[in-house]
Amino acid sequence: MERDMQARRKRAGPPPIFRIIFLALFILFVLIPLYWVFVTSIKPSDDYLAVPPVWFPEQPTLVHYTAALFAYHGLTGLINSIVISVSATILSCLVGTLMAYSLARFNTGGPHLSFWVLSQRFLPPIAIILPLFLNYRLVGLQDTHLGLILAYTVFTLPVSVWMMFAYFRQMPRSLEEAALVDGCTRWTAFWRVAVPLAAPGIVAAAVFTFIACWTEFFFAIVLTSRDAFTLPTVFRAFLSFQGAQYGEASALAIVSLVPSIVLGVLVQKHLVRGLTLGALRG
Amino acid sequence: MASSVARTGEIPESGRSGVSARRSDAQFKWLLVTPAVLLILAISIYPLVFSIWILFVNYDFQIPGHAFVGLKNFTQVIFDPVARYSLWVTVGLTVTNVAIEFLLGLVVALAMVKTFRGRGVVISILIVPLFISPVIVGQAWVLILHSPFGPTNYLLSMFVGEEVTIKWLTQWPYNFFALVLADVWQWTPFIFVILLAGLTSIPAHVYEAAELDGVGRWQVFWHITVPYIAPMMLLAVTFRLLDAIRLFDTIFIMTGGGPGTQTYSASYYLYTIGFTQFHLSRATAGAWIFLVLTLLVVVFLVRRLLKPEAN
Amino acid sequence: MANVEITGLHKWYGGGVHAVRGIDLTIPDKQFTVLVGPSGCGKSTLLRMIAGLEQVDDGTIEIGGKIVNDMRPRDRDVAMVFQDYALYPHMTVRNNIGFGLKARKFSPQEIEQRVTNAAEMLAITLLLDRLPRQLSGGQRQRVAIGRAIVRNPKLFLFDEPLSNLDAQLRDEMRVEIKRLHQEIATTIIYVTHDQIEAMTLADWIVLMRDGVIEQQGTPLDLFERPATRFVAGFLGSPRMNFIETRIEQANGTLSLIFDQDRTLPIDASRHAVAQKWIGRNVTLGVRPEHISRSGDNTARSGAGAPLKVLIDLVQPTGTRTYAQFRLNETEVTVELPSHTVEHPGTTIELMVDMSRAILIDPETQNVITE
Repeated sequence: MERDMQARRKRAGPPPIFRIIFLALFILFVLIPLYWVFVTSIKPSDDYLAVPPVWFPEQPTLVHYTAALFAYHGLTGLINSIVISVSATILSCLVGTLMAYSLARFNTGGPHLSFWVLSQRFLPPIAIILPLFLNYRLVGLQDTHLGLILAYTVFTLPVSVWMMFAYFRQMPRSLEEAALVDGCTRWTAFWRVAVPLAAPGIVAAAVFTFIACWTEFFFAIVLTSRDAFTLPTVFRAFLSFQGAQYGEASALAIVSLVPSIVLGVLVQKHLVRGLTLGALRG
Repeated sequence: MASSVARTGEIPESGRSGVSARRSDAQFKWLLVTPAVLLILAISIYPLVFSIWILFVNYDFQIPGHAFVGLKNFTQVIFDPVARYSLWVTVGLTVTNVAIEFLLGLVVALAMVKTFRGRGVVISILIVPLFISPVIVGQAWVLILHSPFGPTNYLLSMFVGEEVTIKWLTQWPYNFFALVLADVWQWTPFIFVILLAGLTSIPAHVYEAAELDGVGRWQVFWHITVPYIAPMMLLAVTFRLLDAIRLFDTIFIMTGGGPGTQTYSASYYLYTIGFTQFHLSRATAGAWIFLVLTLLVVVFLVRRLLKPEAN
Repeated sequence: MANVEITGLHKWYGGGVHAVRGIDLTIPDKQFTVLVGPSGCGKSTLLRMIAGLEQVDDGTIEIGGKIVNDMRPRDRDVAMVFQDYALYPHMTVRNNIGFGLKARKFSPQEIEQRVTNAAEMLAITLLLDRLPRQLSGGQRQRVAIGRAIVRNPKLFLFDEPLSNLDAQLRDEMRVEIKRLHQEIATTIIYVTHDQIEAMTLADWIVLMRDGVIEQQGTPLDLFERPATRFVAGFLGSPRMNFIETRIEQANGTLSLIFDQDRTLPIDASRHAVAQKWIGRNVTLGVRPEHISRSGDNTARSGAGAPLKVLIDLVQPTGTRTYAQFRLNETEVTVELPSHTVEHPGTTIELMVDMSRAILIDPETQNVITE
């Protein structure tokens, strides 16, 4: 008992006070930018250009939110982001689940096919974006919702496929075999037994896919301009003003980051799996 | 009993029993992968193949026609000093970012291994940066570092007692410092999360055995902890490396590559060549060079790390 | 309600593993057949091939006179009980049992009727609205069986169904499965590695080894007349003793020669066979229960001189006592009535029932019959 305590104390590392200070500083480091964005978003315009800086506004305002959403097309960007991210997520998870099941159960294409899908995750987007842009212009997908939905579906497929792959792999094969003997076809065994059992995994994969689409910037600025632009691309509008539009930028940032943070924290127990494409379990 | 469960219902689809099970299984498994494969072929592979043609022709919104130009696109990139410079910026920033993120993430993970009250909440806070668009991260740091309106210089002035007027986003080397800061802020949690999972999976009896053997704390760390989580370390660092070399979003929003071309990363350089100067074939040639360099890393590192049988 | 006919069956797995190597097997209608053998002998693969879960690489499987090689599992009209029960975790017991009927598009009334009957038969009516995770191991096992019988299939397949249960429950379920077979009178093929399950349940045992059938027959047939050393050693607990020895002729009698000048005379009925083996090495196979203390009334054939042995280990079980001694460098176990031997170190005289013993050719490992 006493030895156990000693072992624990020794393993614990530096004295607790040291650790507490370090962790507190790191938490502060994480929170400061978030706080500053939030506080800037509710400051009256005079306050955020003031020296010394205003740490907390005495008269918080929501004017920047209305300005960002309506004067700077933030609302259009928001709607586009929702439409594109949700569509791409559904498509990616649907197609990804089918593929993951095939890879997990039938080892389809040996290790090559699954690695080929994975390698898409590590292709530098710049290598694909140039020809994709040219082809999108040719077939009329440039600056369309569909164009970005397809691009996002493909670039999130490695995440959904590999996460679901890990889920199906850990599911006992005998369940589907029982279903096959019971009278199911391969398809009904998949649809009525495997998919319901993998539902928590599918939800987690969907959330990570959604966050990836929601926060994506590079494809969006190249493949969209006036019609299908997403929320992150709206920030371009604030670049040239040298600080004059910081309230609007911050308001838009808050609008954009709240949904993805909420979703991300909700599925955080799947986070390790999501970040490592199923290679590690949390 | 036997009579009450009499065989009244016949199998409705008995007519289809002639379907060869073997063949239908094979069809089924390929049918399932078809949509995904087609999508990847259309959106990722076809453009790559198409771009091979672009590599050797003129494809430029400023010069009409698609004349064959041989290797000119490649030579233009290779002999462009900015291209080579941007590659070194990419390598330098990548190594710096990942090294700092790794060390900081490891220390935070070590500090978080032991459970304490509120640990769950702390973890939830620490992972928040992972769910934010890099553009917004960049924007947030612009607000903080902005000169003269951001709080940074003001606080530093109070601290050193004289006025600090560092232009964090436009002045060397502070502009690099700012880029590193944003990247570290966003991605240290990535390392932290993976290493924390690794550390908490080390069984307690391993440490207890070491304790019984009278092994010191540093030795425990080097000879037990590190080897145990080494695969996770390698995995986390590889994933980070492969993402870090794409560095684009924060540069776009924070420095715009400037001053001049000082903070051009490879991706940013290629983006400007392709999409602001519209030398598409030259940018494509550069992208292929970059792709091949990346693929070398992917093939050598990732293939070893991630086997389909993992877990 | 179907016989099964297997001809020249082969199965190769990736990596060149030849799991099933030419099986020929006829299983008559309504017979309880047990496939038994050590792990990796191919018995589960054979069962899964019958179910349609593994493809046939060569040979044919007929169920009820129809070749089913390329038939999907659902079209074979078989039911299977899996080792891990394979209950659908997201469905209630009722839906688990009814799932197969639903998949075959039976009417809801029919499903309800059949599920109720099956549940009554297995005494799980009260559990029908629970989820599998709320059930004990034994209850899950019943649900798994219910799922199989509700469809009233031609053929029942059991894949080591009792191996996840604790010992006591296993004994109970064994009885129930045997009773079930008597009630529903359907062909059953049952895979196990447990020889007691095989002996107690089977009408017909198929003992497999390394992908081939080592021997098949009724349980007592295999137990009393094993064809090989492997069969003799696999069935029976504690295991049969195997002692390397030699046949010699002295004074007109044939005897087995052991160390310390100990001998065992071969009973007259086998002289004709043993004659050919004079001067040659053989392996004596004798079950622990066929050795008794000299003078005991349980001793069967009193032929020949008793064997004088030094007991070196005593394991009382309450009902019987197992004692061990060394003979020709081999540790031999003997099953004695309780209190026959109390302490190791005792020297006693034993009688071996040579009429029940077997002689094995050490080279071929086959039992010497003629």
